[in-house]
Amino acid sequence: MEIKHFSQLDSTSQKAKEIALEGAEPWTVIAADEQTGGYGRKGTSWFSPKGGLYFSIILPKSQIEDLQTLTILAAFIVGKVIKENFNLEPFIKLPNDVWIAGKKVAGILTENVIGKEVKLSIMGIGFNTNIEKFPKELVNMATSLKIELGGEVDNKKILEGILKGLKEQLKTISE
Amino acid sequence: MKTKIKIGDRAYQIETTEIKEDLLKVRVNDKDYFFTKNEFGELVCLEDFQEPSLKENDILLENFKEKEIKSPLAGTISALYVKKGEKIKPGQKVATLISMKMENEIISEGYGRVREIKVKENQVVNTGDVLITLE
Repeated sequence: MEIKHFSQLDSTSQKAKEIALEGAEPWTVIAADEQTGGYGRKGTSWFSPKGGLYFSIILPKSQIEDLQTLTILAAFIVGKVIKENFNLEPFIKLPNDVWIAGKKVAGILTENVIGKEVKLSIMGIGFNTNIEKFPKELVNMATSLKIELGGEVDNKKILEGILKGLKEQLKTISE
Repeated sequence: MKTKIKIGDRAYQIETTEIKEDLLKVRVNDKDYFFTKNEFGELVCLEDFQEPSLKENDILLENFKEKEIKSPLAGTISALYVKKGEKIKPGQKVATLISMKMENEIISEGYGRVREIKVKENQVVNTGDVLITLE
């Protein structure tokens, strides 16, 4: 699995779409230290300063139902990585957000291009890991691992844990 | 696709034509052989198969008939990008469908002109619902 790392991108999902159309392999991962145009559903913005973990995965061509299942499972996988590595109690806000202490800590957005079959699938994950503080309009809605733990976490290790979980799950559900 | 093969001393003119999905015609010199896929996706030869009375024009017409863009899954149409009467081409984005937080860009696979848009923005649709008809 190749991880292409950038210090700054407009959006990891946009970049992933671009390189997927140019023929990048499935499971290529685009990660960025910060995003200037990170977005969630319906184009809502995703606060993406340095410190957080922002990445998008080019998914292998799959049945649309499997992608839907994988999107939901992604929230569980993020929750599991939190639970296994830190002394925190994550809450899975279905279909695909993860909360800690009543505030959002991670969000997942899968985008597909579909004609007669699925042409392209990108899963983007925004994870508030080492974010020190949020602007006041988000402070009641969002939190980070750093805020909850009072210390830094290893973004690389978390990324690897999530990717491993996703790969295993997709293999299981598409069989 | 045309090609030539040689078996022993004899050369054969081979021409393969995909008549439609699941029906392949292979012409060897002047004789036609037809192949289809079985339930395992394997190619099998159809013995005593008569070519459907489709001339090339009819085949094209038949392809044109199948001009509906359907919803691939249940969800909500969040945006429509085409108008009635507009000409569209393969790969063109026609709608966005939101489903369980996945955002799905629906694209056209063929050329055509939009005859009718069967859905409105924010409408809930089911798998297989016709979104747009083309002519």
